Amino acid sequence: MAAADSPSAALRRRDLCSRGIRLAGKMRSDVVDLLDTYVERQGLDASASVAAVEGVPAAAVERWDEQTGTQRLLENLAAYRAFRVLLSQMLEEHREQLGEADAALGRALASVLLQVSAFAYHLEELLRLESRGPPSEEGAPPPPAPHLGLFERKLRGLGVLRELAQWAVRSTRDLRQLTKPSLGSGLAPSRAESP
Amino acid sequence: DSHIQYERVGADVTMKCGSMDWDAAVTWTANGTDIDESHLNGSYLILKNVDLTHSGQYSCYEGSSWHLKYQTYLGVGTPPKEPVLMCRSNNYPKGFYCSWHLPTPTYIPNFFNISVIHGMREMVCEKDIFPKNRCHIKYLQLFSTVKYKVTLTVTNALGKNSTTLTFDEFAIVKPDPPESVVAKPVPNNPRRLEVSWQNPSSWPDPESFPLKFFLRYRPLILDQWQHVELSDGTSHTITDAYAGKEYIIQVAAKDNDIGTWSDWSVAVHATPWTEEPKHLTTEAQVTETTSASTSSFMPPPTTKICDKGAVVGSGAVAVCWTAGLVLAAYGVLFI
Repeated sequence: MAAADSPSAALRRRDLCSRGIRLAGKMRSDVVDLLDTYVERQGLDASASVAAVEGVPAAAVERWDEQTGTQRLLENLAAYRAFRVLLSQMLEEHREQLGEADAALGRALASVLLQVSAFAYHLEELLRLESRGPPSEEGAPPPPAPHLGLFERKLRGLGVLRELAQWAVRSTRDLRQLTKPSLGSGLAPSRAESP
Repeated sequence: DSHIQYERVGADVTMKCGSMDWDAAVTWTANGTDIDESHLNGSYLILKNVDLTHSGQYSCYEGSSWHLKYQTYLGVGTPPKEPVLMCRSNNYPKGFYCSWHLPTPTYIPNFFNISVIHGMREMVCEKDIFPKNRCHIKYLQLFSTVKYKVTLTVTNALGKNSTTLTFDEFAIVKPDPPESVVAKPVPNNPRRLEVSWQNPSSWPDPESFPLKFFLRYRPLILDQWQHVELSDGTSHTITDAYAGKEYIIQVAAKDNDIGTWSDWSVAVHATPWTEEPKHLTTEAQVTETTSASTSSFMPPPTTKICDKGAVVGSGAVAVCWTAGLVLAAYGVLFI
């Protein structure tokens, strides 16, 4: 823990957070554009309500302001690892369904997938800085894509992208909290929270 | 025993004098003034095609004894039209408020009931004391993709109406305008104005939820605004102001990531710094005085204005010649 609090570690953390905020901002902007393209190309109604999609991490959180820095990083990392899998599945389904017929949508999906991967790596770096290290991804393979009809798959994709756009905003806010010099932004859990 | 009754504009109203028989001798008053017998059908008071002027206190007295037999307040009005509802978060991420009004008055008392549903959860909207047609809700969750559904129902004695708003958490975020906008000239800089402002005091945590700003400015003599978007900081220096012209300046704010722009701030006025005008020398003033009797206007002599000692640079002579020509032409106009 002492290493995590050293001045150089604090500077590195601040730098990673600042870059992470810029990454998240760009990612959000691209996801919003992708959403517009996706809705149009898939023939969906932009205002359609999509029920909570199984396996998609919800950005919604209660008592957000009370979270510790560690909680923020861990929840973000879990989310973006899940989105990496989900977007890969979407990309594969898109290629199977349309092949090269809609290359623009495929490229946009691939670009966002790349940014999600980069952001996940960024979060892993922040957790390594904490000397805690990111949780391992080894073990159980990612769950297979559910067998859904074409329309259900389109709606699921809409739900994935909407939730990702929400996460991008949440991540920006989370990283800003980490840069705050107050106690609440400390990455290490407070004494009260220690087991 | 006093009663209250509400009737629609245009309705025909019949009032009975309590338990008095139809053929009893009674006197009706409206707001203390006797009502003419032509409005009576036996002891019943008949008001046809009522309008707002019929609203008031109606009393019925037994003929000779003047005992009060019945009293009612009549309110003439209309059922409510669809209310206008607005919801906004000017203090994100704490919560949001909803406010409402009726597009046209009903002239009788109305009761408002608001329900807020988020997913499966019904939320409580705490009524504000002032203004009274407003309530506020604390966010229980942030970053939710589930929409909020707000339904306002207005009811009065003559009917009810309602309206529903459905929105995302981010869509209603709109800060209040920036506060304490100040614009000042910059000494020795005739084309600059320094503008500063503060975050709206209602925005609870600008450090975690920073605002960005939009500044607009124009000289009073022109209609076209110039705009500058600023992603951080609460000050800006305008560097392209027209020298000597009074400017009007306003600022708006928006959350860096979500929502919409605030209304424009209160406008401030400022004029860039200008150099103090030079005074004429004593010799020039004497020349003007001695020439006053021969003509009403004499152009000031060019020698002193274009004194080589005062004008620096190789173009001094050309400048002096030009100045003399201009002044001479100006003098001709006034002879």
